[in-house]
Amino acid sequence: MSSKGKLRQRNPQPEASTSNYEYDQVQEDEHHADIYTSPKSRSGIEKFFEGSQGSIIVVSALTALAFALRFYKISHPDQVVFDEVHFGKFAAYYITHQYYFDVHPPLAKMLFGLAGWFVGFDGSFLFENIGDSYITNNVPYVGMRALPAVLGSLTVPVVYAIMKESGFSTVIAAFSASLILFDNAHVAQSRLILLDAALIFFMSLTIYSYVKFRKYRYMEFTLEWWTWLLMTGFWMACTWASKVNGILTVFCVGVAVLFDLWDILDVRKEGHTMDYFYSHFLARAGGLILWPFIVYLSFFWIHFRVLTQSGPGDTFMSPAFQETLAGNELLMSSHDIYYYDILTFRHKDTKVFLHSHPDRYPLQYEDGRVSSQGQQVTGYGHNDTNNHWRIIPTKSLPETGRGRIVRNNDVVQLLHMPTNTLLLTHDVASPLMPTNQEFTTWARDDYTRHNDTLFKIQLAWDAPENEPFKSKSGYFKLIHVPTKVAMWTHPKTLPDWAFKQQEINGNKNPSERSAIWYVEDIIADQYNDEPADRDEDQRPVKVPKSMNFFKKYIELQLLMFQHNAGLTASHPYASGPLNWPFMISGISFWTDNDTQKQIYLVGNIIGWWTCVVGLSVFVGIIAADLLARRRAMDPIPDSVRNRLWNNTGFFLIVWGVHYAPFFLMNRQLFVHHYLPSHLASALIAGSVLNFILSDTINYPISYATSKTRLRPSQYADTGFKGLATVLGYGLVLFMMFIYIAPLTYGTPGLTGEQVNSKRLLSTWTLHFAAKKTHDS
Amino acid sequence: MSFSGNVRARRPASPPAGLSHSSGHSTNTSVPSSSTDKQSQRFPHPREEHLDADARRAAASKGFGPASARHGGKHFPTGGISVSSGELKLLFAIVVVACAVRMFRLSKPNSVVFDEVHFGKFAGKYIKTQYYVDVHPPLAKLLITLAGWLFGYDGNFDFKDIGKLYENVPYVAMRMLPAGLGVATVPLAYLTLRALDCRASTALMGSLFLTFENGLITQSRHILLDSPLVFFTALTIFLWTGFCNEDKHKPFTTSWWAWLSLSGLSLGAVLSCKWVGLFTYATIGFHTVFQLWNLLGDLRITPRLWMRHFIARAICLILIPIWFYMAIFSIHFAILQNSGDGDGFMSSEFQHTLKGRGMADTFADVAIGSKVTIRHLNTQGGYLHSHAHNYPTGSKQQQITLYPHRDHNNEFLLLNATQTGASGDPAVDWLAEDISYVTSGARIKLRHIATEKHVHSHDHRPPVSDVDFQNEVSAYGLKGFIGDANDDWIVEIYEGDKRDKESHKRVRTLRTHFRLRHALQGCYLFSHKVKLPEWGYEQQEVTCNKNAVMANSLWFVETATNEKLPADAPKVNYRRPGFLSKFWELQKVMWTTNAGLTDRHTYDSRPDSWPLLRRGINFWVKDHHQIYLIGNPLVWYLSTLAVAAYIAVRGFLILRAKRGYRDFDNTKVVKYDSLCGFFFMGWSLHYFPFYLMQRQLFLHHYFPALYFAVLLSCGVFDLLTSSLRPRIRLQIAVVIILLAIWNFWILSPLAYGGDWTRGKCEKAKWLKTWDFGCNEFHTDIAQYNIAIASTPQKSSVPASFATAVDGNANHAAKESTSAISNENKAEPGKDAFEGRPADEVPVSSGAPGGPGGVVKQEEEKVVSTVTKEGEKEKEEEEKKGPVSAPAAEDKVEELKTGESRKEDVKSVEAEAPKEAVKEAEVKTGEVKEAAKEDEKKEEVPVVKEDEKKDSESATSSSSSASSSSTSTEAAETEAAPKKAAGPLDQVEMEAAKVAEELYPEAVAGAAA
Repeated sequence: MSSKGKLRQRNPQPEASTSNYEYDQVQEDEHHADIYTSPKSRSGIEKFFEGSQGSIIVVSALTALAFALRFYKISHPDQVVFDEVHFGKFAAYYITHQYYFDVHPPLAKMLFGLAGWFVGFDGSFLFENIGDSYITNNVPYVGMRALPAVLGSLTVPVVYAIMKESGFSTVIAAFSASLILFDNAHVAQSRLILLDAALIFFMSLTIYSYVKFRKYRYMEFTLEWWTWLLMTGFWMACTWASKVNGILTVFCVGVAVLFDLWDILDVRKEGHTMDYFYSHFLARAGGLILWPFIVYLSFFWIHFRVLTQSGPGDTFMSPAFQETLAGNELLMSSHDIYYYDILTFRHKDTKVFLHSHPDRYPLQYEDGRVSSQGQQVTGYGHNDTNNHWRIIPTKSLPETGRGRIVRNNDVVQLLHMPTNTLLLTHDVASPLMPTNQEFTTWARDDYTRHNDTLFKIQLAWDAPENEPFKSKSGYFKLIHVPTKVAMWTHPKTLPDWAFKQQEINGNKNPSERSAIWYVEDIIADQYNDEPADRDEDQRPVKVPKSMNFFKKYIELQLLMFQHNAGLTASHPYASGPLNWPFMISGISFWTDNDTQKQIYLVGNIIGWWTCVVGLSVFVGIIAADLLARRRAMDPIPDSVRNRLWNNTGFFLIVWGVHYAPFFLMNRQLFVHHYLPSHLASALIAGSVLNFILSDTINYPISYATSKTRLRPSQYADTGFKGLATVLGYGLVLFMMFIYIAPLTYGTPGLTGEQVNSKRLLSTWTLHFAAKKTHDS
Repeated sequence: MSFSGNVRARRPASPPAGLSHSSGHSTNTSVPSSSTDKQSQRFPHPREEHLDADARRAAASKGFGPASARHGGKHFPTGGISVSSGELKLLFAIVVVACAVRMFRLSKPNSVVFDEVHFGKFAGKYIKTQYYVDVHPPLAKLLITLAGWLFGYDGNFDFKDIGKLYENVPYVAMRMLPAGLGVATVPLAYLTLRALDCRASTALMGSLFLTFENGLITQSRHILLDSPLVFFTALTIFLWTGFCNEDKHKPFTTSWWAWLSLSGLSLGAVLSCKWVGLFTYATIGFHTVFQLWNLLGDLRITPRLWMRHFIARAICLILIPIWFYMAIFSIHFAILQNSGDGDGFMSSEFQHTLKGRGMADTFADVAIGSKVTIRHLNTQGGYLHSHAHNYPTGSKQQQITLYPHRDHNNEFLLLNATQTGASGDPAVDWLAEDISYVTSGARIKLRHIATEKHVHSHDHRPPVSDVDFQNEVSAYGLKGFIGDANDDWIVEIYEGDKRDKESHKRVRTLRTHFRLRHALQGCYLFSHKVKLPEWGYEQQEVTCNKNAVMANSLWFVETATNEKLPADAPKVNYRRPGFLSKFWELQKVMWTTNAGLTDRHTYDSRPDSWPLLRRGINFWVKDHHQIYLIGNPLVWYLSTLAVAAYIAVRGFLILRAKRGYRDFDNTKVVKYDSLCGFFFMGWSLHYFPFYLMQRQLFLHHYFPALYFAVLLSCGVFDLLTSSLRPRIRLQIAVVIILLAIWNFWILSPLAYGGDWTRGKCEKAKWLKTWDFGCNEFHTDIAQYNIAIASTPQKSSVPASFATAVDGNANHAAKESTSAISNENKAEPGKDAFEGRPADEVPVSSGAPGGPGGVVKQEEEKVVSTVTKEGEKEKEEEEKKGPVSAPAAEDKVEELKTGESRKEDVKSVEAEAPKEAVKEAEVKTGEVKEAAKEDEKKEEVPVVKEDEKKDSESATSSSSSASSSSTSTEAAETEAAPKKAAGPLDQVEMEAAKVAEELYPEAVAGAAA
């Protein structure tokens, strides 16, 4: 962290230059022991702790302890745990350069990839199942787990620094830091290959940078001011790029900035001109919107640069995208389609072939509706000659040459080869969906229904008019010309009369996204021969095509968004947001039946409940303050109130913005989604403790300029009682941490009775509980 | 009502000199009255009004606050009543017009419209005092029932389908109630606007806007709950406005208390109509908090006085509404004393309070050898049950299910599994032993008495919940067989009753909740809300679950008899729940049912489409008439525009204030800001919360918000015309009103279900998204006279309404059947097999045996049994349809199958209660008739779909409907989102085809 060094470097200068202001010096030298000439006499211990040496010792101790707790037995378990299945796999893909698709942005996963590469992981192990052994597969997993452990450990000093920069005393800062330090949930989460440690680390750095930025607010447009503005933007972008939830950090900085700008706009407070306001507005727009976005994009740019090979993510992407990947199937075996070719068609989502067989639809379905009794057209999962269709033109063709190629928006007929019938759809209800049209076939030589056999090939992804229709890459919709329905299928199977095959029907919404088909294979050309090579560009070796980065990015971002919204399936350990602050239920990460070991994500319950109490006390304080001020009373000194509203209020915004949106989400939610909010609540708890212990704070702490209004300065005096409280409390936290630790580290194994005793809340669904209890 | 929070304005120290009035009441009241007395006009002369405004402005400029004495005094609190005689006449005229508009041909249509299906039915339930469950609180339904009862409704008409002709129902009287309340809303709007210090011309405009709002008209003309809801919302707002005026004048007077407590009562009434009333509650609540906040900031008010303000409001706005709400429910319970189809939703204790559901006292002790019935605690699935039918899957042993009704197949003999006495048969041994109670840890067997089999579990997967951690539970054994160890269960007592100490130690009837652990597998006897397929009569599945959720693995003994117990042994029964516990239980049931209404409906819509009036609701279609809920576009869009304008202007003002402009020192700004702000808050609170609701939503959910938006548009009008001369203002108002009436006129045939022509209809389709079916109407108005005489088959048309989604397809299917029956009759499909390639069948069918053969058989079966099977299906559907509660459904279902399988099975089920049998017989009778009719008309599928749609839209029966949903229904639900693309065309095409059949000439003519 460059910030620290810089600070210390700057110290001598202000002493020399801006010594006109007595308190200015005081603020600049917060960490300097000699300068404390507080009106209140301080004990030696307090002087020591408030001094820079003391501060360094405290933060070093906390950091060392954090590393110790997070690295303790990090090699255990030597198996794939919980979501390591995903994120370990993605790291492997970065190493093998295979393209994959995930709902989360790439930064944290790239870091894992980097860590893996660094410790010599070759990417061959794919983390297929929870419980797969790392040892037998020779995976240097400790190195990969070390990354989140380091980030998780570093979060502790950052929390300390946030509190310190906010003007709280060392003791209070240590209190907040120890809430994170001794938290089982944070420890468990950062010992495994999961994204949250990175998310939380970057998020805490964002808060730190923003607090620093705010402290420079009187020195606007100076180098320091710009530095911290851009730092905020940078860490914000990193947070967002680590995990989708990081967008909340962006929102939360946004909200804080809006408050800030609102104040600047207020003519009564400072009397600034509109020009002044615009310049501030533009600076923030640049530093907190444009710049982070560039950073965010650059991660994607690296992402695309690294993943150049075809991989499991191919099929999510558009054909144009896929052709940029080396070794992609589309790239390798995509051919132009000529009229009279025999083809097999496959549905993109459900992977069934367009199929027909001589059996007919029953006259009447179970629900009483009647059918046309035509030949069945179904979706069938396996290869079969009944999947063969010949593509017949509706226009005159040249004898040979490229004029015979099928192109976008051509109107065609499809001839079912085995029964010599043409595909047809008409306004009859399909077997399963009364809303959709039935698909059937019609004898080829019977022209009475000719119009109903006409279909338009409409290439997906907005292909240009004359785009040739290709196998594999030519995703298309088959639109019925007279009725405009799109050929569509869905996973629901037909009853026995259609051998449980999938229904194919006409969807009246032609823009339906799942109505996309592609040509699996060209079976034969018009002479029933193997198709000869007929490609436009007769490249000997297929070279990946290139595609504009922004196009790629937009496509990927849209897909991520859609898939994230689609994660609604229920999960046994998913929980509602209301449970989170109270640590009502945890998540079972891993169990081992033989040794009765388990990893169960659960927070340090004392710490979490302290945070909740802190939160509610804070809300109570500001509510009481509001009421009192409404009655023209002024119980809280201005300096303390300013701190409460502006600083702790900001933490409250951080907490709320990282928490409240989950109430609106319908996707799977887990308790670890609360961890960023928990961090914010730890900050609030520290602030509240300070409020309880002491009437004063270090004030003012913002860097002043010659134009700044003078304010009487004061110093935090938590005194000996503060130290004792925090030490005692830290000890209690540590004991609780140790008590739950077997669930966090997954070792040692516990007997049934031990499990029962660790189950502090009856809602924790631990494994291997003794039978005595009522829950299993 | 001051929204500005301008404290100084509350009570001027003294009125400025030179003003004609003092702070005394007498002068206050005398000024307006004298000014109006001078004129013999219908309402205060506009010029006078204008001068008033000027005078006010003058007063304000002299430091006399805007919201103070002159109009905030005695004049407005009683404003509703003490308007001048001229205004009263005007008000009377408005009411007459509103009556005419709302009541015009109320008797038409003479068949069931839209949700009358439900609310009419519920009225019937009240009259027959049969218990039902609905998602809405009972007030509005009670009022409707009252109207029906006074006019002699006997509750026998079933309101089964939309379009069913009324017989012996005073439906006009029942419709009169919502219509009357709809009329009453109009003067309330007038008075509210006047009380808020708007000008008379504005108030006139507002009330006429509401009078000619097609949506409100349509909604209030039928037996629906929204009209009472809107009325009570309007009443609450009016009363609250009156209270605020009083409060500004002088608090704690008698009239102050009256307005306040009346507001509270009215709030209670809103809540008791629909839960949407909570939004009204929030509106008043926020405003109260706002008032209190202002009072708090007024340092002249002592904390003591403030507490008085606070407590008065708390009593009147919290306690009174809650009391009222609960009182309505106590009436509800008092009326519904008999068992009905809502029983199945309620707990056993609750059911016990219903007549026909009560239970005789039963022995308290449960011992080895007791004959017991065991009930599942958490679900309403009922009793542990077995019957002589086997699982078609797994072990193929006899089924164990949960069955909701009393039946002797629920009886089990509780035997000791550890003792092997002299005979080795536990069923005999216990007779020789002393009586031994069942304690925790006891190892028992449960013998099904009727079939002499034991409840058994083993390592087979259950039929529906096919997962690793669940085992099948079956009944296994035969007469004389003592069973094996897989029949053994270990009793684990979970909790006893607080007042029965014994029940913690040993199993006591009704008092002890226990689990049954399988002795060998370690799994718990378990049931959940998962139904078995038809072969299990859709009873609830029972499994043995290794990861059982606690709540779903708890059981209790409901009845127990033991030969060894003396006749005078202690007996127990369900504790009768008090009103509060019944009330609370019903609230929870309503909540869960409400949250479960997530199925899609053909005409549902999301909130974002409401302010723009994107789409209406098709209520009813019959005989070339249609009722379609659509708003008055002018009124609707003006109201939306007003909301948008308010947001824009207010935002702009805030920014200006931030930059030091002193707009809010202007009294005019303050007045209109507080006025419009109040309406805007009402609108937001009645609109935005819908975004959070996942349930089915309809356009009519917007009506309370619309009411606020319309009043807001009037406020904006008042502001815009405030500097105009009164005559011009009135002229503008008249022009706008005339435009609104013209709009109303254009769309009125849809509101009244009147005669219309296709051409006019097409012209009236101003938005493409309005999906009323124009082809429903004749091309020429004259055809109505002929048509009604010549078409007796009325029931053929309505189908196109509810089946608008699938109507097209159905119809087409019908056509094609006829076509196919002509062409393909000779060929039953056999030829098809000859051309079949051999490689295809085996993989795809997956059926054992020779490929061709199996398929052939199946095919033949399908072909040969098509008609019969089809009819059976229809019958089944017919039976299922009307029965809404899952319990009743099960009953019928089970009985029916019982009958049909008489030959091969000793029909155990048929011994169920006799009434039920009768009911079923009656039903089958009906069904047969229906089926006959259907054969003629070939309308069955359509009618049935129709019915299903209703049940989907249903509020009450939805949970049961969805659980019993067949594949079609599910399919429909799935398809729902897509249909939006084409419902228009579908309705049209369908209608076109119908029209073509009936009037080929006319269509040809139109085409030409």
